Amino acid sequence: MDEKAKSNRLELLIALLIAIVSLTTALAAWRTNAVGSKAGDATRLGLIEAVKKQATTNEDWRRLYEQAGYAQSYAVTLAGVEAMEASGDPVAAAQAVNLRDFLLKGIIQLAEPLATDPKYQLDNGTYDLEQYFYDIQAEAPDLLALDPQASFKLAEKYSSEQRWLMLGTVLLALSLFWLALSEVGGSRLRLGTLGIGVVIYLFGLAWFFFVEVLFIFLRGGAL
Amino acid sequence: MSETSIDQVEQASGPMPPPAAQAPSKVLLNPERWKAMIIILTMINTILVATVAGLQTDANIRANDANRDSQYYAVLTSGELHRIGLQNNYDMNTFARILDNTQRSLVMGFTSLELLQKGDEAGAALSTLQERVARAQADAATTFSIFYQDPRYAPKSSDAQPELQKYLDDSNANALALLASQNAASDAYKIWSGKSDSYVAVLTILAIAFFLFGIAQSVNPRLRLLFAGFGIAVIVLGVGWTLAILIS
Repeated sequence: MDEKAKSNRLELLIALLIAIVSLTTALAAWRTNAVGSKAGDATRLGLIEAVKKQATTNEDWRRLYEQAGYAQSYAVTLAGVEAMEASGDPVAAAQAVNLRDFLLKGIIQLAEPLATDPKYQLDNGTYDLEQYFYDIQAEAPDLLALDPQASFKLAEKYSSEQRWLMLGTVLLALSLFWLALSEVGGSRLRLGTLGIGVVIYLFGLAWFFFVEVLFIFLRGGAL
Repeated sequence: MSETSIDQVEQASGPMPPPAAQAPSKVLLNPERWKAMIIILTMINTILVATVAGLQTDANIRANDANRDSQYYAVLTSGELHRIGLQNNYDMNTFARILDNTQRSLVMGFTSLELLQKGDEAGAALSTLQERVARAQADAATTFSIFYQDPRYAPKSSDAQPELQKYLDDSNANALALLASQNAASDAYKIWSGKSDSYVAVLTILAIAFFLFGIAQSVNPRLRLLFAGFGIAVIVLGVGWTLAILIS
């Protein structure tokens, strides 16, 4: 009778342990999926940032070459006007004056600031397109600051954590299996399987917390 | 119910032989026989499932990473193609402007000589002026042209043409490199996604093994062995498939 009562108490204890381990396994599975979801979110954010940044850069390139075209038109037209002025022909000189007053002023308005700002003038009469491109990009510092690679790296950290958390979840599931085995198995094996289940559970739990703490530290405190 | 059946059999064929006369195998067969083996098989299957689940998670993560990379490279390739289009347009327009003004200058110079030969000095002077203007504009445009300023593409002699093909090859090189990376990432995605899907199929097969071992535990020892055999066959199939996925 004592043996039977002892066995019943052990069965009750194992049942409680199974409940605790089931709950822990469910929480671990939730956390593992949540981490995977965060990896997906970071990837999605990185791709959105990449598209926004590329769209901005495309527009910057368009503006650069549009301005470069106007500035070149101005420089070429100016060269023609200077040739007319230098010809010594009074008709050409008169035409040149009007070209300067009416044509070049119009072209240079289109070519501002590339053709007018001295910081873009190069010694050979051309313009510093590289410097102008940097200046165009600097007009939108928030878009310039977008860093898709940073989001991708964060996503990789979450994915890496997900891999290791998955291992912890598997360990917890294994411990659940052993505990279930000890509950339904014969009394001869009960204590042995119970011991194995508890050891695997504790190891899985420790593993899970270690991985969590390590990756939270690696992410600079972010969950 | 079973007692009634035995009675019916006894009535039909005479009294039953004493229990000692029955086949020994039927009497001595322990109903718990092979249960320990089934537990071990279930344990092995659990470990296999855990391993394959881990591999599936890893393959899925790798597929997601490759998918992300392929999309990112697609964005970069598209941007680079856009940039190349703008740059080529600018460079070719500059080159066209040089050719136009150079030709115009030559034609005006030729016209000036013709008019001079005909004694039309005023017309010749006008043509000469137009020749100089066109020449000045061609020279100005030349300073803007990558085909004359960049030693990689500049003509090697005064009567040679710029290296247009090299220019096109160089300007497309970055886009082609990005495209190659995009294709590689797409291929990697396809491979890992396929592996991930195959691991899910293996997990399903191993779940069938769980079912078979569960059935095996609840039937008589003879059927237990049969179901265990089926379960082992399913496990072998799952392991074989997993190995095939791993080495593919």
